[in-house]
Amino acid sequence: MPEKPIKGDKRYFMTGNEVVAYAAVMANADIMYGYPITPQNEIMHYWTRMAPKYGKEFLQTEDELSAGFTTVGGVLAGRKAFTATAGPGNTLMQEPISMAEAMRLPIVVAVQQRGGPSTATVIYSQQEVTLTTFGGNGEGFRIVYSTATHQELYDYTIKAFNTAWKYRFPTFILGDGYQAKMRESLTMYDPESRGIELVSPEAYVGMPGTPGIDRPPGQYRNTYNVEEELYEVLQQYQKEYDAIAPEVAEFESLGAEDSDLVVVSHGVVSRAAKEAVMELREAGVKVGYFRPITLRPMPEKQLREVANKAKTLLIAESAIGQLARLVKDSIYGCGAGIIPLFKPGAGITAEEISAKIKSVLG
Amino acid sequence: MAKAVKIVLAGEGGQGVQSVAEIIAEAANEEGREALYIPNFGVEQRGGVSVAYLQIGDQAIGSPKFLTADIIIALSDRAVHRTRKYVGPDTVFVYDSGIEGVEDAIPTNAKKVLAIPALQVANEELNPRVFNIIIMGAVVKATAVVSEDRAKDAIEKKLGYKFEKNPKLRELNFKAIDRGAELVAGLL
Repeated sequence: MPEKPIKGDKRYFMTGNEVVAYAAVMANADIMYGYPITPQNEIMHYWTRMAPKYGKEFLQTEDELSAGFTTVGGVLAGRKAFTATAGPGNTLMQEPISMAEAMRLPIVVAVQQRGGPSTATVIYSQQEVTLTTFGGNGEGFRIVYSTATHQELYDYTIKAFNTAWKYRFPTFILGDGYQAKMRESLTMYDPESRGIELVSPEAYVGMPGTPGIDRPPGQYRNTYNVEEELYEVLQQYQKEYDAIAPEVAEFESLGAEDSDLVVVSHGVVSRAAKEAVMELREAGVKVGYFRPITLRPMPEKQLREVANKAKTLLIAESAIGQLARLVKDSIYGCGAGIIPLFKPGAGITAEEISAKIKSVLG
Repeated sequence: MAKAVKIVLAGEGGQGVQSVAEIIAEAANEEGREALYIPNFGVEQRGGVSVAYLQIGDQAIGSPKFLTADIIIALSDRAVHRTRKYVGPDTVFVYDSGIEGVEDAIPTNAKKVLAIPALQVANEELNPRVFNIIIMGAVVKATAVVSEDRAKDAIEKKLGYKFEKNPKLRELNFKAIDRGAELVAGLL
C-alpha cells in the first residue's frame, strides 16, 4: 500500500490548484481525466506528479467532452474519478455532466472559473455559477460547493467525493482563477485522523452474479421511450434531491440576524464581504454577512430567515446577477429588497463593498 | 490589529518580480504571518508586464487583488504605466532611476516617490543576476513585512543548494539584500 502524502497536520503555503490535487489524493480518488485549460492546469500537473507515487491514474483526453465522458466511465467502473475544468471547457463538459445527472453518477468536478463569455479572460470571474448549478439540458440535480479559501479548497474537495458517493449526484468544487493561482497558508491533514470516514466507491457495471437472479439488474439509463417513464424518474430524483437538500446545504453567517442590511456573496468575494462587514460592525455599524457555501442546493431556510428580517440584501458578485438569481429564487415572497454590486469578470475588494454599504445606509 | 500591507511588484518578464514576491510571501508565512501572493496571468506567452500582488498581515486576508497599494515597485517603463493606477494618497511609489522617458507617467498623487539606482548597483557593483534580490532588500526594508535576517533565511532555503557549491553566491545574494535595503533606507 503506497503511503499518503500527508500524515500529521501540517501548515502549507501553496497555490489552490496544488491544494485540490493533494486533497483529491487524500480523498482516495483513483483517477483523474482531464484536458488542459487555464486556470486549472496545475491541478492536472500536480495530480500527475503525485499519481505514480500513490498508485493513482491519469488520462489526458482529446477535449473536455471526452474528459467528462471518461470520468463518467471511470465512475461506472467503480472508481473514484474526477476531472477539472474552466470556462469554455465547463461549457463543453455539460453534456457528460448531464449524463451523470441522468444516471445518478457521482462524478466530481473542480471548476476554476475564468472570464466569459467564450474565451474572454483566463484570469477570474464568478460567471460559471449558472453553468455549474444548472447547466445542461436537465434540472440541476447536482451539488455545488463554492469555496473561499485554500483551507476550504482542501476541506471541500475531500468532502465532495464523500457527498458524491453518498448521495449519487454529480458534485462540484467551484473555485476561480484567483483561488487557483494564489498562494496562501492552509493546514492539510489526513481526513481519517479527524474522524472523516471516506466513502468507498462501488462499481455500477461488471458486478458479480447474474442480474435478476443473484442481484437486481443495474439499469442506468439516459434514454427513455415514453414521456411518462421519464417523468416518473425525474419526479423520483426531485423527491430525493429535496429530501437531502437540508442536510447537504451549508452556509456562513455573521450578524445577519440583527441587521437591516445584509451582504450576500459567495466564493472568493465573500472574503472581501466578511472583511468589510467585520470592520463596519467594529465601528458600530449594524450590517450583516451571509454566504451560501452550497450554491446547489441553496441554504434556503436560513436565507429566507435572513430575508424575512432584513430590509435589504446587498448582493456582491463577480458576475451580472448569477448568484442574485439563485438568491431571488430562494427568497421569493420574503420582505427584503435587493441592491446589486455586480462586477462581471473582475475582483471585488472590501473597500468597494464597504463604500457601497455606506452609500446604501446613507 | 493593523491591516495587511499591500505590495505591487511589476517588471518585464525575466526581471524576477514573481520570485521576489514568492520568496517574501514564504518568508512571512514561515514567521507565522498571513501572506497572500498572486501573480497576474493572461493569454500572452511572452512580452507582457509581469505583476505580482502581495499582501502580508496578521489576520485572514480579504480579496486577493486590491485597488490601492501601500508600496509599488516598478522596474520598467511599461511597469510604471501599468501600476500607476494602484497609487493612492498613502502609497509609496518606487521605480528604478535608470528607466528613461517616464517623467510624465510618474504618479503625482503618491505619498512618496522614490527613484532608486537598483539596476546600476546590480550592473556596476554586484552582478546583474542579483538585480531582483536587490529589489527584495528594498521591499523588505521599505515595508518591514519580514526582517532582513528572515529574508536572508528565505533565500538560503531557496538557493541553499547552489550556495553549497559556490559559497561566493551566498555572499553576493546577502550583499544584494543589504544594498537593496540601503537604497531605500535614507529615503523613507
